[in-house]
Amino acid sequence: MIYLEVKLPDIPGSLIELIKPVSKYGGNIYGVLHHHDKKINNMIPVDIWFELNEEGIDLSLENIKKELIEKNIQIIKISVGSKNKMMTFILTGHVFDRDIADTIKRLDSKHIKVLDLHAKFTEVDQISSVIMKVEFPELMTKFELINEIDKICKEKSLFLIRS
Amino acid sequence: MEVKICLIGMGNVGTSFLHLLKEKQNSIKAYFNFHCKLVAIFEHDGALINQDGIDLENLLLDNTFLRQDPKWVNNVKFQDLISTLDIEILIETTPTNPNTGEPALTHIMLALSNKVNVISSNKAPFYLQYTKIKNLAKEMDCSVKFEATVASCVPALSIKKNLIGNTIFRIRAILNGTNNYILSRMTAEGISFAVALKEAQELGYAETDPTLDINGYDAAGKLVILSNELLGWSKAIQDVKIEGIGKITPHALELAKIDGYVIKHLAIAEEDNLTVEPRLIKRDSPLNIQGTLNIIELQTKYAGSIILMGKGAGGFEAASAILNDLISIVKKLD
Repeated sequence: MIYLEVKLPDIPGSLIELIKPVSKYGGNIYGVLHHHDKKINNMIPVDIWFELNEEGIDLSLENIKKELIEKNIQIIKISVGSKNKMMTFILTGHVFDRDIADTIKRLDSKHIKVLDLHAKFTEVDQISSVIMKVEFPELMTKFELINEIDKICKEKSLFLIRS
Repeated sequence: MEVKICLIGMGNVGTSFLHLLKEKQNSIKAYFNFHCKLVAIFEHDGALINQDGIDLENLLLDNTFLRQDPKWVNNVKFQDLISTLDIEILIETTPTNPNTGEPALTHIMLALSNKVNVISSNKAPFYLQYTKIKNLAKEMDCSVKFEATVASCVPALSIKKNLIGNTIFRIRAILNGTNNYILSRMTAEGISFAVALKEAQELGYAETDPTLDINGYDAAGKLVILSNELLGWSKAIQDVKIEGIGKITPHALELAKIDGYVIKHLAIAEEDNLTVEPRLIKRDSPLNIQGTLNIIELQTKYAGSIILMGKGAGGFEAASAILNDLISIVKKLD
């Protein structure tokens, strides 16, 4: 995760100018926070946090910085957050009937943190699907992560589609 | 130079090959300096054998001419006559059992045992008995080529000779056009698997019995051949972890979109493992192809990703792959 702190003029369209280079280099934006309460000289501090593809992350970050500077956007701070790895997967089956809270807790007990979850279902007792984004420790391999998820899926008869 | 060939199986692929051969005879002569003489055609109920060469013009006017030819012999099999046939190359395009590889496997092994080079469009012998076939070909100092078995006309296997200075360490591919069509339609229209399958059948993209496609067996067979040829492995189809596409729901496809993903049925060869299963890939991934196309991504050590894409099925598509194989064998013989 990359945390970027900038100062933007309080005029329409300035946020778009901040987001454009992040998006151009494949940034997946998680959140944007405007500190209107800290506005000084018509400049508002803005925090944005996003994820970049691990492959070529340094170059992408350099390019984003370069384009922000070219746009005269004042960068206050950039920090690369947790080195934990992420993976997205979909579970299909009786995801809710088979206790989704238990699924999340069991992943958590193996240091696999669910960061994001969306669900689709017609009826609670019908087959449903959830998409989960998880963060897992740097020392855990993808193979080990999938093994942990697979164990739960087999036990609860869930169909796993991983990234 | 004259090259004598024999064809087994005059279905869609076999007939397309003969049409292509007829069309290309002059350019083959001009560019590669050889002439192909078709001396035998075997079908399930007999054979037409003519050591002076079968007249392609006449034969291709009407398929019934095959059995009306005075040299047609009923109820003879390739295995009965192979030792008496004077041929350099066998082209094998019979309908073949996916679980046993027969009758193609027997034809291939017999031809090689008789020092006849082989070209086949049949996958099953190669995903079941790859090592056995290759060893026999080596022992008999013969060539065995099977480009049409994986992604048809796409040069997925022959690219190997163009990458000998590189190292391929991973393959990710979409090798079944039927499944890719079904998933593309489900993603685009939000329709169920059953509706998309029915549509694919009505359009002729899926067989009446599509089991081998949708359960992933067809793609798994192709992945075995691809990884054995390009990565130097010695796998068989039982080594592949296979999951089909039948459990993918419109809900799952819709959820994938939220995070910028799509679901594709991928065939993956990586770290000594073979897997065919639905996977989430980013929407802007080059593997996100639509319709019945096939795609193969070779991850190389010195040049990053190399991608091949094209039609993975069809009579003339397979025929052109067979003709490529034929030319490359003859160039080696010369």
